[in-house]
This record gives sequence, structure tokens and C-alpha cells, in this order.
Amino acid sequence: MRYYHIMIAGVGGQGNLLLSRIIGDAALSKGLRVRLGETFGAAQRGGSVHSHVRIGKEVYGPLMLEDEADALLALEPLEGLRRGVQYLKEGGLAILNTRKVSSIDVNVGVAEYPSIEEIIESFRKLKARIVYHDFTKIAEEIGSPRLMNVVVLGVFAGIAERELPFTLEDLKTAIRGRVPQRWVELNLRAFDVGYEFSKNYIMK
Amino acid sequence: MVVHIVGLDKPGSRFLLQGNEAVARGALEGGVQVATGYPGTPSSEVIETLAEIAKDHGIYVEWSVNEKVAFDVAVGAASVGARALVTAKNAGVNWYMDMFATVVYGGLPGGLVVYAADDPGAFYSSTEQDTRPLARSVGVLILEPADQQESKEMVRLGFDYSEKFELPVFVRSVTRISHSTGDVTFGEIRRERNKVFFNRHYGLPFRYNVYGPYKYGGEVGPSAKHAWQLERLDSIKEFVEEVPLNWVEEGNVDVGVVASGIGYSYVKDALARLDSGVKLWIFKVGTPYPLPTKKLSKFLSNLREVLVVEEGDPLVEEQVRALSKDCCPEVKVLGRGSGTIRSFGELGLAQVLRAVSNLVGSKYYEPSDERRKVKAEVRKIIAPRSSMMCAGCPHLGTYWVLRFALHKTVNKYRDRFKGAWIVNGDIGCYEMGGYGLFAKEIEPSKEKVTKRVSFDNPYEILDTNYIMGGGIGVAQGQYHAGYSEGPIVAVAGDSTFFHACMPALLNATYNKAAITFLVLDNSWTAMTGHQPAPTTGVTATGSPSRVYKIEEIAKALGVDDVWVADPYDLKSAEESLLKAIDKTVNENKTTLVIFRRECALQVVRRLTREGKVITHYVVDTGRCVGCRLCVQLGCPAIGWDKNAKKAFIDPTLCVSCTLCAQVCPVKAIKPSTEEVVGVKGV
Ligand SMILES: Cc1ncc(C[n+]2csc(CCOP(=O)(O)OP(=O)(O)O)c2C)c(N)n1
Ligand code: SF4
Ligand code: SF4
Repeated sequence: MRYYHIMIAGVGGQGNLLLSRIIGDAALSKGLRVRLGETFGAAQRGGSVHSHVRIGKEVYGPLMLEDEADALLALEPLEGLRRGVQYLKEGGLAILNTRKVSSIDVNVGVAEYPSIEEIIESFRKLKARIVYHDFTKIAEEIGSPRLMNVVVLGVFAGIAERELPFTLEDLKTAIRGRVPQRWVELNLRAFDVGYEFSKNYIMK
Repeated sequence: MVVHIVGLDKPGSRFLLQGNEAVARGALEGGVQVATGYPGTPSSEVIETLAEIAKDHGIYVEWSVNEKVAFDVAVGAASVGARALVTAKNAGVNWYMDMFATVVYGGLPGGLVVYAADDPGAFYSSTEQDTRPLARSVGVLILEPADQQESKEMVRLGFDYSEKFELPVFVRSVTRISHSTGDVTFGEIRRERNKVFFNRHYGLPFRYNVYGPYKYGGEVGPSAKHAWQLERLDSIKEFVEEVPLNWVEEGNVDVGVVASGIGYSYVKDALARLDSGVKLWIFKVGTPYPLPTKKLSKFLSNLREVLVVEEGDPLVEEQVRALSKDCCPEVKVLGRGSGTIRSFGELGLAQVLRAVSNLVGSKYYEPSDERRKVKAEVRKIIAPRSSMMCAGCPHLGTYWVLRFALHKTVNKYRDRFKGAWIVNGDIGCYEMGGYGLFAKEIEPSKEKVTKRVSFDNPYEILDTNYIMGGGIGVAQGQYHAGYSEGPIVAVAGDSTFFHACMPALLNATYNKAAITFLVLDNSWTAMTGHQPAPTTGVTATGSPSRVYKIEEIAKALGVDDVWVADPYDLKSAEESLLKAIDKTVNENKTTLVIFRRECALQVVRRLTREGKVITHYVVDTGRCVGCRLCVQLGCPAIGWDKNAKKAFIDPTLCVSCTLCAQVCPVKAIKPSTEEVVGVKGV
């Protein structure tokens, strides 16, 4: 495998960078080269954040190109579509959290937030394979909305299991290494719940 | 205690490191003794990381009050023989140029590595300035890493090279390296420390005094030291022919690439995508100044055409072009200077792929027309997401008060103020007050007349904004030039106040500028990731220090009229501000209002760590009359329900700052009794 690309899109505070590092550690443990390119706006919180995750034998710089993402982890629907339309390849996999985070442009009435149906339809037009759900809700049920990112990771790992260059166990080891001690158990649970979800999910 | 990866004694192991962490590791492997800097994205993590491991490794690490001071402190350390590192973002380099240009006249015995993180594409900056030309103008060795591994190696080697020539070494990174993460193999930590000594005439008479009567080449004083420096530079020019940071990769055609820094990584990435039998010649540049001209001439002499790939200005390209005129005039030199690659904006992989594929003559992926059409359709529905301050940010309260105080003042003095006020901005989270909304299209105005611009949210309040500490000076110029159609105001944060506003404020009182200055004191250097400031009460390494009171400093700088206001108390804060502006416009005085309230994000993080529940407010939809005033506050937790025509509050974001409740004219916003686990403290 020359390279495998994952685009992670969301807003600040959703744990985007943590996800990219967990995936990076898992790839590193398999002796692969890793480049994580993160871009966020000026804001500490709430701004658009996306990470380029590049793993493989032939990766040098941190950027992937248009239509080069094998997978998109969309932690927020609008941000997912914003990066998905640019980076997700035809036939690529999109894991979409449907919980919206509004923007100031929408709030003050100079722009309109598209409906979830429109967003899903757009992914279909872009020929993506799409898994969507309110994963924040699942995270809340486990104990905290902050676990949403790891739920999404679990879902992704379940669907993409066979195409990934590392195992579930590698990901779990990475979670243990990256998450503060007192949060490890909950995060592993969130991962498992996401994984189970994926096994019962029927892609339409 | 969690130990930071960067401090681990595990030579040969591979870890994922962000570029700036790799720089910190390089400093550790290079035996750094003193590290200084001023926060600035994308450079701050170097000092942050070193501060974390400072105690364990016996390194002195400080956040200095600005980059100039940081540089001077590092120079001092190297003047007594220690190994020193100074870090800054692109803009910060401008701040220390005076000392940088001067200290090379005689140099230093201790290794001094000057690390600069540029920001092409201006993701986090006012400009995309390339700092390499500045370092070149000073006449020092410039190293430019291609990735995180090289960032580490170049900083480590930088100390050796600096000591070899007794001149600072400049290491220039860019956002795509410093703020990206890659796999890095660790080397040995250098435990040995340079001996600290002071000897006035060490190596050169009057070594540390440019005015000292040092004689050389028929000159005395600074010119003699200049001659010394140029001799050193000549030796550096020889030296770069041999360093392992420049190399040639052989090709099988008569075209090639000269690639510097991240440009090299992009070239390799591009070639990985072009399946052709063609192998380009590659000259990898690690020292963009000076270039190894002998090696490079040899490389060029094999070629018909060469593409120079570098991030920023055509610094290497112009040198290659000049060189080719001497050595091989038939070679065509392409790059950003020649217009082959766009010369503004980020270099990026896409442009490099296009240019390299043209050179190789092979195709690369491009979306079909059909797909492009679909994408254009999809893009139409994607609403923009303009930058916002955090929920409960005290700056939201300040800007609310400022907006209304300005309105009230111009209404009160309607006969005097025919036109508009001016709000001069500055750099920090509150600079978002000038970001505007992406969704709005603005036409330029053609008339040279004063115009009042109306706005209804805090993201459009700033009229001017350039650089740190700029606003307070700009305001004075507007006043002295005779602008009198509205009050003149400047705002700045607390970290910015210490960084650059103190001399400017003294200038205002001394030269009697009638301006109102607002300092937004949130106790932190927030925007760059919450580094401590002199208002915080701790140093970079966490040891307690005094808390500086801006009102005391301001009084000493000649400001007679100072108010301290709480931006969470809108009514009384507005009263204070109105008094201040009144005093300015009636008595022609420099006045100051300090808006003091800790950064909401820091407060919430602390409460979360302590296991406290952060409550939220709710909109009573029965009472809400749909006036949208609370929406105009610009808090990201407040949304607008289009169908119901009522405001609502996102309980997972709201931090109960009370601002919206104060703003609501019908008291429809109240604290909630319900407990919701939010994402607030993340
Ligand atoms: C010369 C220079 N150095 C550093 C920076 C990076 N920078 C951007 S905002 C900021 C600090 C802002 O702190 P403060 O003024 O306290 O405002 P806050 O973000 O806390 O509201 C810094 C250091 C810069 N833009 N220019
Ligand atoms: S980080 Fe602090 S100062 Fe900056 S926007 Fe958020 S609350 Fe305001
Ligand atoms: S109380 Fe109001 S203004 Fe303050 S954080 Fe909550 S929603 Fe925002």
C-alpha cells in the first residue's frame, strides 16, 4: 500500500486531533510512515477544523489532494460535507455524525444551514458510501458527548476493518496511550459501542 | 506524573511528533541550556514542550514579554558560552531584527539557534511573510527542514554549526511542518553542558561591544567587525558544500528539480503519484542560504530545464538563476519567480504536482467535468462558518458595551460628530471583532468621505487591524492628523499590552493624544493556546510570579483617568466606558478602561478538572418576543429557530456567563435547573 488517507472534519473542541493521533499511533506500530496535517481556524473553539491523516510507505508531506481520501470521519455534518466535497474519493467511505453545530453566519441570518437530508443526498451524489447517525447521542448515552469522536472511530474501524493496515487491537492500544488514565475505560467502551453499531448497520 | 514523550531517553525509538515538538527534541539532543520565545502560532509548542521537561533536564525556559526581549535574552546566554534557542512566529522575527542584524558583528561563543515558524497561506497570521530573506540580509546560515525528522536534526546540528562559526544559525519552518505531525526517530540526549564564562576579549578584542575599538582590515569598530563576519560567511559558503543536508538524487532525463524545505516533501509526494518511467534529477536543498554553489553548478550543467520548488519567496530560485547565468546560461530556471507556480498563497502539493507533471510530461488525476459539476452543485448548500469567540467569552461583553457606548456618544454630541467613530483593533482572540462574516459580500466604496458602517454583531466592530501593539499607535496618528468626526478608540489584550503597547501608551500621554484605550484583560495569552502572561501570575515552567496590574502601569505611563470594568456586568461597564470616552472627547485626554475577566475557556477547563458541573441558561419561549438582541451578542451557544422565530441556547455549549440574560429586554433568558453534560471544558 502506497498510502491510505483519512480526512477528519469537525469543529474545534470535538477531539479531531486526538482521533488523528490515535490512528497515527496505530499505523506507526505497524512500521508505516505517518503524516498528520491539521488545520484549524483562529478560534479556540467552535471553528472549522480538519485533519489530513496520511499513512503508508510513500508519504512525505502532510497534505492529501482533491478526491484522495479513502475515508471521511465527519464529526459535524456541515464540516463533513465541506471537506468531503473536496477530498473524499468516488466510492470513499463517509462516517457522518448528524448532530449539527450551527455557525454565526446561520445564527445572524446571512446563511442557511442545510438539512441533514440534503447533506446525505449530497454525499450520495458524490458517490460516497455513507454511514450516518446521531453519534453524539450514542456518546451521551455512554456518559459524555465528548466520547463522540471515539464512537465514530469505532464505527469506522468496524466498516473499514478489512482495508485498514492495522488491527482493532492496535487502535485500542493507541487509545490507551493517548487518553488520560481516568478516561480510558469510557473511551474503550465508546469504541466498542461504535464498532458494534457498524456491524448492525445496513448501508443504503 | 506523565512524562512528555519529547523528554524520553529512548534513542532509536520512533514516535509521532508535531514539528514544533521535534524542534524541542532537537534542542534537547543538542544540549540546549536556555530557551526563550514569545507565543505565536505556529511556533508556540517548542517553548511549551521544553517548559514541560525543563526541570528534569536542567534547562532554563521562559516566555519572554515579546520576541525582541526573547532574542536578547538568548543572545545573553550565548554570550557567556551557553547553548541557546529562541523561537518566534513569522511576525515575531520582525521584532528582533535590530539585535539579529547587530550581534553578527562579532558573533557569540555559545551556539545560538534562531527558530522561526512561517505561515504561508496566513492560516494564523496577518501576512504570509517569508522570513528567510531577513536572515539572509543579516548574513547567517539558514537551514530549512523538509519534515519533522529534519526539524529535529537541523536544530541539533544548528548548535554545532553555530559554535563552529560563532554566528547564529537560522532554522526556518512553515506551518505544514511545525503544525503537522510525523514519525520521528529519536537520537541521544546531549547531557554535556557548555561551560558558562565571561571574557571581554574572548577570540576578538571587545567581542561583545560593537563600538569597541576592534581593528581589522584597515577598519576599526563596527566596520571591522563587519569584515570579520563576512570572512566567517565565506567559510560557511565552503562548509555548505559538505553538509549532509544538501544532496543530489540522480535522474535519467535532462530536466530536474531544486527543492528546498517542505518543497522537497511535496516533490516526493508528487512523484509518488506520477507513474512514469521518467526519473527527474533532484537537488535537495537544506541550506537555502548560502547555497552550495559548486555542487549546484555541477548539477545544473547536466540539465536543460530546472524547476525550483520552495515555500515562500523565490529566495533559492533567484540564487539559482544568478548562478546559472555564470555556470550554465542555457538552463531554463522555473519557479514562483518565473510565474510557473503562483507566487502568493500557500505553495501546497496541488501546485507542485501540476508543475512537476508538466516537467515529467505525465498526467495526474483531475476530477471529470461531470464530477466538477456535481461538486459545484453541492458546494452551493454549504453554509460558511465564520470564526467566533467562545461561548461566554468576556470579549463579547466588552464589544457589546463598546458598540452601545459609541452609539450613545455620537448621538449625544450629534452636532460635533457628523461622521463615524474609529475602532482600532489589535491581535488576540478579540481580533475576531474584525473578521466579519464570510457570508456577506462587501463592495468597495469609491468616495473619499467619512462613512459610518452599521453592523449588528461583534465580528464587525473593528475598523483597522494590523499587528500586535499597532492599534494604539494608529489611533494617535488619526487624532494628530485631525480626524474629528467621531471618537477614536483602540483595543488590545493584556498579553499584547505588555508585548507592545507600553511605549505607545506613554507616547500617547506624553504627546497628548485624545484617544480612549480599552485593554481586554483576560489573564492569559489566549489566542495562541493560553500561555501565561504577566497578568497570570505564573511563569512558563509553572513557578508562581507576581500578578502585574495594568492600571498601576498605566498610571506610571501618564494615564490619569483609568477605569477597571467587568465585561460580565454590562450596565456598569458601559457607564465606565461612557465616562472615559466623554473625558477623551471633552477634555482631550488619553483615557483607559481595563475590561477584566478571566478567559471563559480557561475558567471552564478549571471547573471541569475540579469535577464541577457547568450549568446553562435557557430561553423561555413563552416570553421570548423574537427581537434577536441576544443573537447579536455573537455567543456561539445562542441559535435562532427560524420557524418558531425564537432564540434558543445550546446547553452543551453555554457556560452560564449571564450576558444574554442581561441583554434580553423582556427577561426571557434564565438559568436552567436541568443538568446537562456539555463539551465545554474540552
Ligand atoms: C509579533 C507577533 N507575535 C506573536 C503573535 C501571535 N499572537 C497572536 S494573538 C497573540 C496574543 C494575544 O494575547 P492577548 O493580547 O492577551 O489577547 P487574548 O488572545 O488573550 O484575547 C499572540 C501572541 C503575533 N500575531 N505577532
Ligand atoms: S479562548 Fe478565551 S479569550 Fe479566546 S475566544 Fe475563547 S473565551 Fe474568549
Ligand atoms: S449565558 Fe448566554 S451568553 Fe453566556 S454562554 Fe450561555 S448562551 Fe452564551
